[in-house]
Amino acid sequence: MKKFGKVVAVMMTAVMLLSGCGGTTGTSTENGTSSGLPAKVVVGTNAEFPPFEYMDDNGQPDGFDMALIKEVGKRAGFEVEIKNMDFDALLMSMSTGGIDMVIAGMTATEEKEKQVDFSDPYFDAKQVIIVKQDNNEIKTFDDLSGKKVAVQQGTTGDLSVTEGDPTCVVNGVDVKRMNKGADAVVDLINGGVDAVVIDLLPAKEFVEAHPDDIKIVEDNAVVEHYAIAMPKGSDELKKAVNDALASIKEDGTLDQLKEQYDATETVNK
Amino acid sequence: MNGLMGIGFFSLLSNQSWFAEWGGKIYNAWINMNGWKLFLNGLKVTLGVSAVAVIIGVAIGFILALMKLTEAKKGKRTVLSTLAGIYIDIIRGTPSLVQLFIMYFIVFKSHMSLMAGMLAFGLNSGAYVAEIIRGGILSVNKGQMEAGRSLGLSYGMTMRYVIVPQAIKTILPALGNEFIVLVKETSVISFIGVVDIMKSGQFLISRTYEPFVPYISIAVVYYVIIKILSLLLNAFERRLRRNDTR
Amino acid sequence: MIHVKNLHKHFGKLKVLNGIDIHIKKGECVCVIGPSGSGKSTFLRCLNLLEVPTDGEIIIDGINATDKKTNIDTFRRDVGMVFQQFNLFPNLNIIDNVTLAPVKLGILSKQEAEKKGMELLERVGVGSKAKNYPTQLSGGQQQRVAIARALCMSPNVMLFDEPTSALDPEMVGEVLDVMKQLAEEGMTMVVVTHEMGFAREVADRVVFMDGGVIVEEGYPRDVFGNPQNERTKAFLSKVL
Repeated sequence: MKKFGKVVAVMMTAVMLLSGCGGTTGTSTENGTSSGLPAKVVVGTNAEFPPFEYMDDNGQPDGFDMALIKEVGKRAGFEVEIKNMDFDALLMSMSTGGIDMVIAGMTATEEKEKQVDFSDPYFDAKQVIIVKQDNNEIKTFDDLSGKKVAVQQGTTGDLSVTEGDPTCVVNGVDVKRMNKGADAVVDLINGGVDAVVIDLLPAKEFVEAHPDDIKIVEDNAVVEHYAIAMPKGSDELKKAVNDALASIKEDGTLDQLKEQYDATETVNK
Repeated sequence: MNGLMGIGFFSLLSNQSWFAEWGGKIYNAWINMNGWKLFLNGLKVTLGVSAVAVIIGVAIGFILALMKLTEAKKGKRTVLSTLAGIYIDIIRGTPSLVQLFIMYFIVFKSHMSLMAGMLAFGLNSGAYVAEIIRGGILSVNKGQMEAGRSLGLSYGMTMRYVIVPQAIKTILPALGNEFIVLVKETSVISFIGVVDIMKSGQFLISRTYEPFVPYISIAVVYYVIIKILSLLLNAFERRLRRNDTR
Repeated sequence: MIHVKNLHKHFGKLKVLNGIDIHIKKGECVCVIGPSGSGKSTFLRCLNLLEVPTDGEIIIDGINATDKKTNIDTFRRDVGMVFQQFNLFPNLNIIDNVTLAPVKLGILSKQEAEKKGMELLERVGVGSKAKNYPTQLSGGQQQRVAIARALCMSPNVMLFDEPTSALDPEMVGEVLDVMKQLAEEGMTMVVVTHEMGFAREVADRVVFMDGGVIVEEGYPRDVFGNPQNERTKAFLSKVL
């Protein structure tokens, strides 16, 4: 309450956002444009999820998501600033106002939708199983029952094998939750677990790195839709993002980006 | 002015919803998601890992201290003291998380994560325990060893009957401190997938997308463990001092 | 009894003892005097190998202490030592201080040791303190306990390293009295001391050391009354 002008601005924004559901407006609204959209949007990601997001050779976040969000920003008219952090910390950070948006290969789920708003989906991602080269026993998610399976904690792969979770597709799995996908894969290569459940794309990267040790088992049991997360009640921002996504899809830019970053949606393509 | 009053009223309202929101978050994390059960299991793992690591640490520390003390006995470096010195130097010079990863991913090849963790923490703690024991023994006046030896007692006997009983008073409090550090240190075992208190909390976060309640809960559980531990150690120390009026 | 031949002790480049030769007979009480830094304490500590001689030979009671094959622990049982700082064991009470070594070494049973220890404590006048801890005793009492502790091993030789230097003046007498009594009973004693009165009265022989060698030795009345060496004269003129 130091500056009266700021108070007025906050109140006006609150009025504009209507209804009492208490929209938490990000700090960047200070530089609001005439359209009500912020001039700069801080986008959180977890740059350990190639090819969607990873650190390039200069230590800068790069990847399909990064290219996409920049294109979205360009078309919607806001500047994008990327902030890299732990996957688990992303939504928390958005709830505290540290970031305004999340693009991190994040699946739009009903559960998450209670906490945040999602844009229209921009990518269909399939969960696959990685097993050792010589493993012919595991062919589907059902075969994971009774097996030791490593996952990255909090990912869709984790949820899909966690008994009791709404999106779980197989029961009786001994789940080992690692902080990083790479750690889960190391566990598999070391023989500490029987399988890893993970998104198709990182799976391809991992298998490419260790073609003699591991292979991908494809199953259509878990397919999910990646979307951009925004704080609950960011109607205006959401509309702008969706409009931009639609136009990116329409003119073929999306497919072009998928190709450019090798962000394919099935194993054999 | 009207506007400011309006804000005051608004913030009061939102404060009330703040309470409701937090009540809901705590209920969700602890009851709905079975958080209390997770934390209880995590607590068992944390205490178990700490206890085993402490035992390994004291055993290794004692051996290392004896190795290092050959230097004080001979008055110059020995093979044993040099080896122990290198070990302590490496352990103290590298982060415990790195040691844990090496133990788990490389030595244990992703098998027996619990065992790998206990061993990693035990080996780590051993280096610090060794320095504590050595420091305690060297803190005993040099004349005590001379007096023991002048009576015809051997080095080992003088250590056992004269030096160690005196050193123990310096060693035990410091050792208690080291245990407390160790209990907290074990939280990094979550990085290799072991479900301790830390990992239980992180699991809750990954399911509720809400970090405050789980992290505060983790902090509270650790605080309570440490508090109980330090109260026990203090009581023990007091007893030690009461038996010892000299 | 005690034969010391050509004893040298160097601490790195510092040469503290430069060839000591002395023969001490059984029952003799020898007082070693000299300025600080003269090497007298080092000489004493060499006698029971608390300092390992650089060169030379020490033979006590026929046992060659400087021979590498000699078991030093066994050798030390017969050579009692009393320190300037008493060095009682603070973790043990007085009687346990006295009986620790003979009991743990299996020389006496617990009961024998306690009986003997009590006799010794009575003899040095601190029998009533047997169950107390060292810090509850005065310096003079502690030093008398230290003497009893050494005597409990029934040594053939007693070494005293400035036994009264750390004491308040009023307590010096009680310790010297015990030592005097011991000398009169025929104990072989080597005493490094600044107490010239004691040396003059009790010693059978006085040895004056300076610069790591024995400069002059002889009967107390000769050394004190008619010193031959200039350095002895200079030292005595300062302390007497």
